[in-house]
Amino acid sequence: MLKLEDVTKRFGGLIAVNRVSLEIKRGEFVGIVGPNGSGKTTLFNVISGVYYPDKGKVLFEDRDISYFPPYKRAPLGIGRTFQIPRPFGSATVRENVAVGAMFGTMRDKVGVDESMVIADEVIERVGLQEHRNKQAGTLTPVEKKLTEIARALAMKPKLLLMDEAMAGMHPNDIDQMVSLVKTIAKQENIAVVAMVEHIMRAVVGMAEKVIVLHQGAKIVDAPTQEALHDPKVIEVYLGHPPER
Amino acid sequence: MKDSKIAKYYPLIPVCATYLALFIIGESVPGMWQLVAMLAFYCAIGQAFNIFLGMTGYVDFGYVAFMGVGAYGMALSVERLHMVEGIGMGVVFLGLLLAVVLAMLLSLAVGAVALRLRGAYFAIATIGVNEGFRYLIEGTKIWGGSEGIVFYGQLAKALGRETASQVSTYWADVFVFVIAFMAACITIVYMRSKIGYALTALREDEDAAKVMGINVTKYKIIAFITSASVAGLIGAAGWALKLTNVFPPQVFEIHYTVECIIIVLLGGAGTLLGPPIGALVYGLAKYWLSVIIPGFQLFVFAPIILVVIVVFPEGIMGLLKRRWRGTGLGRFIE
Repeated sequence: MLKLEDVTKRFGGLIAVNRVSLEIKRGEFVGIVGPNGSGKTTLFNVISGVYYPDKGKVLFEDRDISYFPPYKRAPLGIGRTFQIPRPFGSATVRENVAVGAMFGTMRDKVGVDESMVIADEVIERVGLQEHRNKQAGTLTPVEKKLTEIARALAMKPKLLLMDEAMAGMHPNDIDQMVSLVKTIAKQENIAVVAMVEHIMRAVVGMAEKVIVLHQGAKIVDAPTQEALHDPKVIEVYLGHPPER
Repeated sequence: MKDSKIAKYYPLIPVCATYLALFIIGESVPGMWQLVAMLAFYCAIGQAFNIFLGMTGYVDFGYVAFMGVGAYGMALSVERLHMVEGIGMGVVFLGLLLAVVLAMLLSLAVGAVALRLRGAYFAIATIGVNEGFRYLIEGTKIWGGSEGIVFYGQLAKALGRETASQVSTYWADVFVFVIAFMAACITIVYMRSKIGYALTALREDEDAAKVMGINVTKYKIIAFITSASVAGLIGAAGWALKLTNVFPPQVFEIHYTVECIIIVLLGGAGTLLGPPIGALVYGLAKYWLSVIIPGFQLFVFAPIILVVIVVFPEGIMGLLKRRWRGTGLGRFIE
């Protein structure tokens, strides 16, 4: 469904993403892993349209979307959440989620009333119904994250990009959120790409495939268990094995 | 369902009540009309500026330029068309139309460039628009150059002496009331439609709004043009038609932009009732201070405004709106 062909993105002399090719299939759960500065966020930004690639192509459902602005990619079915949750603070949770339905869906004309109905459904699914009418800015970090996930889900995405999906959260909350996202993604056949700095239990638990980035290049792209034991991955995280 | 469709527009009630009360006071209390007209003018510019500043969070320091070209629209229409046979009141309506067209064109030109910038950069880019326009008119000597346009004679020719005097002393102010009300209607319609949601989203976080599928540039331009058009109307009615003259240094004076900003922030940016409340508080305070300490009003007023904005950063209505959320009163507040 999503295909990257030889994508390169430079910032001046720095090559942030270096000839990365990858493919994400419908309904797949993929973890993108890599240490700080390995190009994960840039890669995400190239997929969601914040940056355009310098070289290579981004294909979504066989369409070349390399130079589509972000607002045109969202309705195709690409939703994303941010590293630090960024709900629209002065709007209520319900309005936040409704915005996703209003502008992010593939059906062109979702009116305000209809989007509120969709928002209520999604809010119920992520379990935020008690906070529906609270201003998003007043929520706890976990609730903000859930609001953001709900907002992305209301877009009815085919692909959900989660930036540092679980950063800074309590392990219990992570477990809950992981199983929630996984359940919904399976039901709706959404491909999820979760980006994390470390190979965390959460990602290992849910990802079918792990892609490891190192200094902008893809070094491993394999089923989770295989990737975990790949010597190149161990080297990236732990350094060279001691000689003898 | 039908009931809730109407209920969405309940917040217009207190706004209309405010305008109506002002109008009635002005009509019935002798000697009050000038004060009321000034307050109506402040309400109108607050309400118009709020459509842009309040809903998008962008500050346009060149805003007064739209009122200025609006005033010129009216002046040009009267000056050039007064001799057309049987034009009568048509000259005034053409003036309003021309005001809107000029303000729209200018806002499109400014917006197409400046709205690509964000936050403070936008503010800086717009800061010279009014001055630039002033020097353009003065320097190129178009539209009367620095001598401006004085058109009472032409207005009298088109309408007759008596009607002309009535138009400039009474109907011009009534127009301002109508424009203020119209701006309030536009505001609530925008708030309740997709435009309002898009604007809220981009005001809060432009990058997040983009990846939600919102074409932020489009919605910013919609708000900008709307706000500018209303400003053009205010310039045409509240300045040109009322004073029957237009001078470049007067109508491109940045002072009015600052007043707009104060009114909107004082009342509550992005709220519907905020601008009229801000306008009343600002207008009355300014008037009262100029009576009791003539000449020193700004000296006293500036610190008061500073304190108010520090204590109520959301403005008066922003605070009340939050406090009344979910109560019976909340339905009438936006």
